[in-house]
Amino acid sequence: MSERKATVLVVDDERAIQRFLRPSLEENGFAVLEASTGRAALELAVARKPDVILLDLSLPDMDGLDVLKRLREWSSAPVIVVSARGQESDKIAGLDRGADDYLTKPFGVEELLARIRVALRHAEGAARDPEPVYEHGDLKIDLTLRRVWLSKKEVRLSPLQYTLLAALVRDAGRVVSQKQLMKELWPEGGSTPEALRILVHQTRHRVEKEPVRPRHLKTEPAVGYRLEAPDE
Amino acid sequence: MMVQGYAVAAAVAALCTAACFALFEVLALNDLVMVYLLGTLVVALRGRRGPALFSSLLGVACFNFFFVPPRFTLHVEHSQYVVTFVVMFAVALIISHLAVRVRTQAEAAKRAEVVAETERLRSSLLSAVSHELRTPLAAIIGSASTLLQAPPGGGASSKDLLVNIRDEADRLTRLVHNLIETTRLESGAALKKELYPIEDVIGTALERTEKLLAGRFVGTDLPENLPLVPVDPVLMELVFVNLIENAVRHAPDAPLDISARERMDGLEVSFADRGPGLKPDELERVFEKFYRASAAPGAGLGLAICKAVVEAHGGTIRAENRPGGGAIFLLTLPRGNAR
Repeated sequence: MSERKATVLVVDDERAIQRFLRPSLEENGFAVLEASTGRAALELAVARKPDVILLDLSLPDMDGLDVLKRLREWSSAPVIVVSARGQESDKIAGLDRGADDYLTKPFGVEELLARIRVALRHAEGAARDPEPVYEHGDLKIDLTLRRVWLSKKEVRLSPLQYTLLAALVRDAGRVVSQKQLMKELWPEGGSTPEALRILVHQTRHRVEKEPVRPRHLKTEPAVGYRLEAPDE
Repeated sequence: MMVQGYAVAAAVAALCTAACFALFEVLALNDLVMVYLLGTLVVALRGRRGPALFSSLLGVACFNFFFVPPRFTLHVEHSQYVVTFVVMFAVALIISHLAVRVRTQAEAAKRAEVVAETERLRSSLLSAVSHELRTPLAAIIGSASTLLQAPPGGGASSKDLLVNIRDEADRLTRLVHNLIETTRLESGAALKKELYPIEDVIGTALERTEKLLAGRFVGTDLPENLPLVPVDPVLMELVFVNLIENAVRHAPDAPLDISARERMDGLEVSFADRGPGLKPDELERVFEKFYRASAAPGAGLGLAICKAVVEAHGGTIRAENRPGGGAIFLLTLPRGNAR
């Protein structure tokens, strides 16, 4: 890790949430800034330039999505959107407006830390070349050789199935929305979300031991997909 | 709606007049009044005052115009008919007043019944939900206060208490999610249906219930090339989560088998456990709101929501006893277009 402590700006107006987030983040080596309104969040983001922003979408003074939009006008710090279940359209809107990932309330601290680490790694990695080899459990993907192995046995994939995996590897650990994936797979357009779902389904049957219990290629219901972050 | 009542009154008056023409030769003139009074009664029974009054007036006018000499004028020859008109009008008014009152009282009684039924449902919802909320809350508060009193450092038992807090909070989360989705469904919110591989939705339900399943064996039999089905992924996941939770609750420590097959008109998905199974009279009742199988914990909401969601998708769900012991829940989902 870097010498400097990474700073997390937590934007949430619920004291109970702040109360558990601060100690758990500090214990895991992060510096914590807190804002309970959208206005305060924007001011802190300008003044202190946090490394990651955890943004709850329901704020007392402004729409969380507007906060995100204003942030994105000048900042590229990763933003993780926090919202409740059943608000999938908010999550999609958040990703469309430049959020890096999202967390669904209620969440556990392991999940929170995993999202923050992935967001930080991607922010760092944006400056460097991406890792050419992805390994997670029994799955190995080599982007330079364009080859894939499951439990050390090479897997034959169609070009489209490979493109899907490669796109997800680039964002490993992060959610990739259905829309983003479709743009990547069919840049000319002319495809459907159903075609994407069939493609994911078929790919899972190649790279997952138990496709109904995927260990690598996860579904984010009604939003998109996530390839688990590579092993450390 | 307003105009319709008057149109009916006019039609009835026309019908009465036609009947009177037919009966004119047979009946005495004053007996024709009865035919018009009958007509007014019919109109009044529809329950609205305006059309009933209109019908009374129209009856007198038609009787006068068509039948009282000199016929086909509103002119009246003998003053005795004026008395007839007054009596006829008064009787028509009384009849219509009474009929309208009977009708409104019947409607009020019906409304009161509906209100009582809603009230009964609401209070059983309240008692089921409050029980279901209080149990995990009691466990959470109890565990947390025990931990606060314990000497720092804790031990093996403090870990158990923490696990208890987390698991009970998870249970609350599922309950709240169920309540929110039921309310949404009952308020008539539209389903967001799109074509999905069912394996995908079953997979997310299995992932969400990983802690609840706690390593229990779940067998899955899902052919790779099943057709996609139009589902609301969030709601259908809730159905599967509820079926898994139901199996865990009623068939603890027994394996669960999930399978799907293509059928003529869609997909059949089954969740089969090796629990105690269901009594014959429970096969239908398990899907009723707030029904709980004998001495079982839970609010009795889960399966009712399953039924509501599956039916909102145009599918069916039923329970059967599994050959060799246990219960099996079978649902069918129609294929077709997403919208």
